[in-house]
Amino acid sequence: MLVEAQRNRGALRRVTGLARSTPGRLSLLALLLIVVSLLVGALTAGAVQRRSDALEALADRSEPLAFAAQEVYRAMADADATASSAFLSGGVESAVLRQRYEADVAKAAAALSAATSEITRSPELTESLSTLSGQLPVYTGLVETARAHNRQGNPVGAAYLREASTLMREQMLPAAQGLYEVETGDVVRDLEDAGSLPWLEFLLGALALAVLVFAQRYLTRKTNRVFNPGLLVATALTAISLLWVLTASLVVVYNASASKNEASLVDTLARARIATLTARGDETLTLVARGSGAAYEKRYAEVDKTLDDLLTRARATTGTPPLIEAVDHHAQWQEAHRKVRAADDAGDYTAAVTLALGRDATGAATAFDELDMDLVDAIGAARAELTDAIGRARAGLGGAVPAVVVLALLAAAASTFGLWQRLKEYR
Amino acid sequence: MKRLPAVTVLPAVVLAVVLAACAPVPSGAPAIGGGSAVPPRPAGVEELTAPPSGATVAPASCDPTASLRPTGPLPTPGQMPGGSTMARIQAHGRLVVGVDQNTYLMGFRNPFSGELEGFDVDMAREVARAIFGDPGAIQFKVLTSDERMPALEERRVDIVVRTMTVNCERWQRVNFSTVYYHAGQRVLVPSNSEVTGIESLGGKRVCATKGSSSLANVAAAPSKPVAVSVPNWTDCLVMLQQGQVDAISTDDTILAGFAAQDPYTKVVGPQFTAEPYGMAFHKADEDFVRFVNALLERLRADGTWASIHRRWLGAPPAPPVAVYRD
Repeated sequence: MLVEAQRNRGALRRVTGLARSTPGRLSLLALLLIVVSLLVGALTAGAVQRRSDALEALADRSEPLAFAAQEVYRAMADADATASSAFLSGGVESAVLRQRYEADVAKAAAALSAATSEITRSPELTESLSTLSGQLPVYTGLVETARAHNRQGNPVGAAYLREASTLMREQMLPAAQGLYEVETGDVVRDLEDAGSLPWLEFLLGALALAVLVFAQRYLTRKTNRVFNPGLLVATALTAISLLWVLTASLVVVYNASASKNEASLVDTLARARIATLTARGDETLTLVARGSGAAYEKRYAEVDKTLDDLLTRARATTGTPPLIEAVDHHAQWQEAHRKVRAADDAGDYTAAVTLALGRDATGAATAFDELDMDLVDAIGAARAELTDAIGRARAGLGGAVPAVVVLALLAAAASTFGLWQRLKEYR
Repeated sequence: MKRLPAVTVLPAVVLAVVLAACAPVPSGAPAIGGGSAVPPRPAGVEELTAPPSGATVAPASCDPTASLRPTGPLPTPGQMPGGSTMARIQAHGRLVVGVDQNTYLMGFRNPFSGELEGFDVDMAREVARAIFGDPGAIQFKVLTSDERMPALEERRVDIVVRTMTVNCERWQRVNFSTVYYHAGQRVLVPSNSEVTGIESLGGKRVCATKGSSSLANVAAAPSKPVAVSVPNWTDCLVMLQQGQVDAISTDDTILAGFAAQDPYTKVVGPQFTAEPYGMAFHKADEDFVRFVNALLERLRADGTWASIHRRWLGAPPAPPVAVYRD
């Protein structure tokens, strides 16, 4: 103990002794400049790396997973609507509807396995994901049982289909909705991380410059030389580093803000597509319930209102051709739906079914299919914009971390060199 | 204190630090959930803990099968007497009928054609034929058991022809025609079941639809079964096939429809209630009741009733005898 304290006191005395002589002070200044350059360089590189990591998470995980979650919801809602349509059409369901249903189930399973890879990062998804992957085979089992009974002409087939639809609507779709909300939340969070203003980087760079300016003024006073080439070079290098980091970060901030708009458009369009599918399911189920489907028709009206709002909101943001057509086709569908309801309410059930399922140009099925395709195109376009913006942001940060490190090392070296020249004069 | 040489202290310290760092780090991955299967259920399943409301004892003085006597011969189709309910229906252009699409052979949706068919549906078409001269001047509204009386009271339908048992309690809210079919409640179980009737269903889960007289009868059975209610009759068959209920108990006509759809079921026990079916009307439409009773007289007499019975339910017995209260 005693020996150690003595040793410490010895070290302190040496440092204070060093600070009393000019060469000693110059050595300490050199040490300070090295430490500041390296520390600021390391911290700035860390901050830039964090921004880059957020962008990487966004591009490689959150955004694709949010899309996967949206696909899970879409495919499941579509499978349900398609199964109801196939039932309503009577007889053995058409090959087209069967293929659509099968494609939906395949898509839901594939998108689900993509979304499941996220379970370690977001443990709160465990319940939703296990509901979805656990109930999907149960759901398809019920639909196949319904088909088998339909083929034998047993009315109990319809009851199996109702049970399947209840399972879908009461358990699976809410779980898919929860999944989608968490994944979309991740996208927003990553965008905010990447798009935060670079205050830390600015303050660190300013600190390094301030220390360098202070060192040069001190030297001017002590040595009567106006300029010290080494320190000038170090200042220039630090300034370049700061400018680089600020420019790159602002490019990211700008693109992240653009991405945020695109992400919100993708979200709006995805919700519009889900609303389209839900409305179609309700339109079909109203007819399946045959006179006792008032609840489905009421929900159709609600969902259609939501769809209208979403399309209006999307239309206010962008005027791409698929979206303009989507608005038109939605109006056509509403018109066709009014005809379906008029026929059904007037007691002409067969005409109502034909209007709802028929393939003629003015039918509800055609308008629904067109609207769905428009929304697929619009979502594709908006998503391409989003990934482009993320890509541009990532390009802006390219090489920033190594540059910051190299510039910090060079600045430290230049400061050392500059002060070494002055120190030599005291030998 | 004698200081240990650094050569001995340092490795000891390093070893201690390394060993401390070697404490096991648990995995952050969540455990595999979803081990317990949750069976799917039809929408709106309820397990009854108390007898359904309306299972009250009817007044003893009432004879539910007695209906209103026809006033005379049927008017010519298409020429309903002015001011009558039938004239109003004729002006509307079609008869709005509350039926079922889930009761095989009585009222069901043919999966191939998508059309509604069955004994009840054919009887309803006869009413349309008597008013319009056209059995197709008809609009079907599918009703669950529970919706039958509200649909009449709110005038969403003109008439209900849907395996509806006439009883005194229902007479207080709607009017019934004379009896057009005599059913009785029995029990349907899987073919390997040892149940022999309602008396051996104590503590077992028994399915019936909400608002049906069958449900009230199950809940009131002395053997105390657990009554499970669902919206539609076919939901009961789904639950039986999925092992969620032990038996279905309702009218033998409906049970025959189930047995025809599932060869691994059997109808057991005697009829333990009498379930006379009548067509139901709005309480105010007495003229329409008398009109339909006149029609039923004709259908019984001219063999139409028998041919409809033969088409759906097999060789016809003698048609139910009409009873009137004037």
